[in-house]
Amino acid sequence: MSVATKFKCLRCGHEFDGHYDPKAPLVEWTCPLPECKSNSIRPMKEKKRE
Amino acid sequence: MMDAGRHSRVSLMTLSEVEEITGYVGNFHVKVRRKARYVDSGKCTACGECVNVCPVLRPDEYQSGLSTRKAIHIPFAQAVPSSYILNMDDCLGNNPIACGKCAEVCEKDCIDFNDQDRIEEFDVGAVVVAIGMDVFDAREVPEYGYGRYQNVIDSMEFERLICAGGPTGGHFVRPSDRSRPVRIGFVQCVGSRSRVHGAEYCSNICCMNTVKDTLLLGEHYPDTESKVFYTDIRAFGKGFEEMYNRSREEGVKYIRGLPGEIEEDPATGNLLVHVENTLTGELEEHEFDLVVLSVGVRPPKDRDRIQKLLTLSKTPSGFLMESHPKLMPVDAPTRGVYIAGCVEAPKDVKESVCQAGTAAARAGNLLSAGEVTIEAYTCRIDAEICNNCGQCAKVCPYHAISFVKGAKTPPTVVEAACAGCGTCGSECRFGAITMRHFTDQQIEAQIDAMLAVDPMDQIFTFACNWCSYAGGDMAGISRLQHPASGRLIRTMCSGRVDESWVLRAFRKGAPMVLLSGCHFADCHYIDANRQTVKRVLRLWDKLEKLGIRPERLQLEWISAAEGQKFAKVFQVLEEHRLRVTKEEIEQTVKVLEEEHLKKLAREAKQAAKRAEKTAEATA
Repeated sequence: MSVATKFKCLRCGHEFDGHYDPKAPLVEWTCPLPECKSNSIRPMKEKKRE
Repeated sequence: MMDAGRHSRVSLMTLSEVEEITGYVGNFHVKVRRKARYVDSGKCTACGECVNVCPVLRPDEYQSGLSTRKAIHIPFAQAVPSSYILNMDDCLGNNPIACGKCAEVCEKDCIDFNDQDRIEEFDVGAVVVAIGMDVFDAREVPEYGYGRYQNVIDSMEFERLICAGGPTGGHFVRPSDRSRPVRIGFVQCVGSRSRVHGAEYCSNICCMNTVKDTLLLGEHYPDTESKVFYTDIRAFGKGFEEMYNRSREEGVKYIRGLPGEIEEDPATGNLLVHVENTLTGELEEHEFDLVVLSVGVRPPKDRDRIQKLLTLSKTPSGFLMESHPKLMPVDAPTRGVYIAGCVEAPKDVKESVCQAGTAAARAGNLLSAGEVTIEAYTCRIDAEICNNCGQCAKVCPYHAISFVKGAKTPPTVVEAACAGCGTCGSECRFGAITMRHFTDQQIEAQIDAMLAVDPMDQIFTFACNWCSYAGGDMAGISRLQHPASGRLIRTMCSGRVDESWVLRAFRKGAPMVLLSGCHFADCHYIDANRQTVKRVLRLWDKLEKLGIRPERLQLEWISAAEGQKFAKVFQVLEEHRLRVTKEEIEQTVKVLEEEHLKKLAREAKQAAKRAEKTAEATA
């Protein structure tokens, strides 16, 4: 089941909200900032958000 | 279809479903369920006596539910074989026989209530997937009132109503009162080219279908007033523009703009269409006797099952993906499998016929050759090192590795099915898999050689052969400026890049590592690059745990046409590289050296254990 997750772009550092289900087929993640558009997107784990 | 049915070398399996396909190019084994027909098609002469006595009436699917059929019926007039079929879901029952009137009147005695599904198995050398398409359900656009207003129909229903073999014998009437509609509105792009309803892609066939329909109406009923609401008319094929112009010359009004809403006048059943004419910028109202929604094309419902059976890949819009859009437009990524028709993308009859011919010719070429030439870079499993974990079989996108869980025998590679992506090689934790021409030793030697001199000045990059490496080429031939610090190692797929190679590059002093592959929809190895993402996520966690900034490992999808993106990525990463200090690199090297030594110790222990086991077995 997909859960609301915070994603972080490892190129520009931008953090954004999205949904992630580790068991579902992966989708191509892209940084939403138009000037970045990097694919180095990391779903942040709960403990890292705190 | 009739020709195929009559051909001596074609076995036509109607009312059948493919249950399983195993094997590989030249050696597919197929299991087909032949569903019970309850009528012996060899004996049936299609006299129709059974239909006359059948008491069950059901909506006729072929006529879009505009007329009825009996429980025993012929699906459509030209169906092959030309014999009746008893739909047991509709029949009053066969266990015990509740009615049986059809059997009583059948002189040829061809109705068999005890008929059962049969499984047939056979071998084939090649497979052509041509499972067609579905159409958009216009009920998903509630503002057009399809399903609520009787006189709003879709383009499929229009085809049945205007057809001489249709429920009205070709007399065009509107459903509410069976009167002939004079004012007819056509609404284009219903379920196509929309981010709100349906899909974003163009369904390709609807514009010309509507143009054809308006001409047909004009021909049958010259007093018809047709208006077409469109986004833009895409008349791109041979003779299409002329046909569109003819439709306009014959008085059909084309209004640019899609209706916001359709309302029904309950008293007359007429329809009021509210639309913004985007050419004049004015809001308009048009009254019609009948509105036809030009519905878009959808991928077929069975696509996922076929995709799984044959390990195919699909585009983001859900159609099956070809190996290469220009060079191999009918070849599926799995060797020996070909695609034809709308399952690949929406297309008209001419294109479908053309593609079907090409697919048949490609399959014929493959079979007549009698042998298959495979690439040299396939994988090999060392049975002595293999731990029988089965991870390689799990990640192989082509199911080219056969592994029986619990069998205590190492997996085996079907080389004819292996495409050489190397995902298995990088997933194997025991180093039991060798990728020919892209061995661990070869790549590690390249890493060491590249980072032997001035490692701090490099953006160390792993690029896949098909997209990212070609994207670099594109940047080069386009003379795009990008920093000279990029150093590329080419692998067939980004899925081949082993975790240990990335750590090795950092251990050898690389300030930044870039892992680059095809976009998800472009992956040349079905979905091997999904494993790349999983691996990079693991690596980011690992780096963070070791106190190394995860930002120093970057992941980018760059296609062969994206030379500009390639150049931009390197420009941005150069800024990142300059921010990595010498102290940070030294600390990274120190941490990873310690980790490496621990790993070597672990491996030595495992090797000793293995040697001990072998000695015991020998003794």
